[in-house]
Amino acid sequence: MTDVLNYPQVAKELDTQTPQEILEWALKRFDNISISFSGAEDVVLIDMATRIDPSVKVFSLDTGRLHPETYQYIERVRDHYAIEIDVLNPNAEAVRELVRQKGLFSFYKDGHKECCAVRKVGPLRDKLATLDAWITGQRRDQSEGTRDSLPVIQKDAAFSTDTNVLSKFNPLASWSSEDIWSYIRENDVPYNPLHRRGFTSIGCEPCTRAILPNQHEREGRWWWENPDEKECGLHSDNLNGPNALKVVAK
Amino acid sequence: MPHITLVKKVFKNGDLCKKCGEVSERLEREGLLDLINQIAIADESDAESEGMRLAREHNVDRAPFFIVEEDDGAVRIFDIYFKFKKYISNRAEVERQDLTDLIDQNPDLDFI
Repeated sequence: MTDVLNYPQVAKELDTQTPQEILEWALKRFDNISISFSGAEDVVLIDMATRIDPSVKVFSLDTGRLHPETYQYIERVRDHYAIEIDVLNPNAEAVRELVRQKGLFSFYKDGHKECCAVRKVGPLRDKLATLDAWITGQRRDQSEGTRDSLPVIQKDAAFSTDTNVLSKFNPLASWSSEDIWSYIRENDVPYNPLHRRGFTSIGCEPCTRAILPNQHEREGRWWWENPDEKECGLHSDNLNGPNALKVVAK
Repeated sequence: MPHITLVKKVFKNGDLCKKCGEVSERLEREGLLDLINQIAIADESDAESEGMRLAREHNVDRAPFFIVEEDDGAVRIFDIYFKFKKYISNRAEVERQDLTDLIDQNPDLDFI
């Protein structure tokens, strides 16, 4: 990267472009950039990116609690695209302390965030400290109400530091779940077999379950928690959007 | 993550001090050995060995001991195993709370 990005301006310019065009822009702009792969339908990012750069960097967060199918699937993706996937593990001592103090299923009682903090966000933070930019599969349709203005590129407010401005790309922001699955079918993209069993949103095994038809995909996550607490309803970045307080009809 | 050095003593006859051996075993048994970034030997027959030099530098007169160097440059010395372990445990808890706060402030992280 050579100069400072005007994120709102670039986001506006890229917003009308296809995910492939956004990826191409990102990969051309940044050398030190990596895709975050969750082992779910964000595989489309890998499919698209490897057509632009076969040696694109990919990392995946192994929380230690993923489904066996997801581990097998990550291997399948590695083989299929002949790419390296940097599989990141949580800090062993941090996990040990959490489990020692609260047991293996503390999230059912205390909420998911503490466990996610140790198993997911800690290693993510450490990884992102080594990058200039990263690419996520986040989409506006993943949550009702608060994510309408998810930009295709943004300065990462969570992980940028005084010495490292981190750019975050969300090339699939404007795509729907239907768009994703059309792409997967049309391009014969390998997908996690859990999707065939009703898992729409795939995370850790204890925190993910299959959903019924017409349920929102996030209803398969942390279902024992109050929906209002699963996500922040006052997400500052998204509240500024034009549809911030609109209830999205599905 | 802090950089942690364990300093162990070797007697003039080449034997490792008993306490150092016990602490090493305990570290391994309690799953803490992976936290140790570096092991330095204080060789009684070599005043310039790395461990002896570190002992002088940090004014420590018994082994084993731990040198914990935090990211912000702060250095803490522990010559009692249980105090080292307690510090590491508390540190993990503080770190966990910081990361949990980060999720609270950035709910998008639930979608990663």
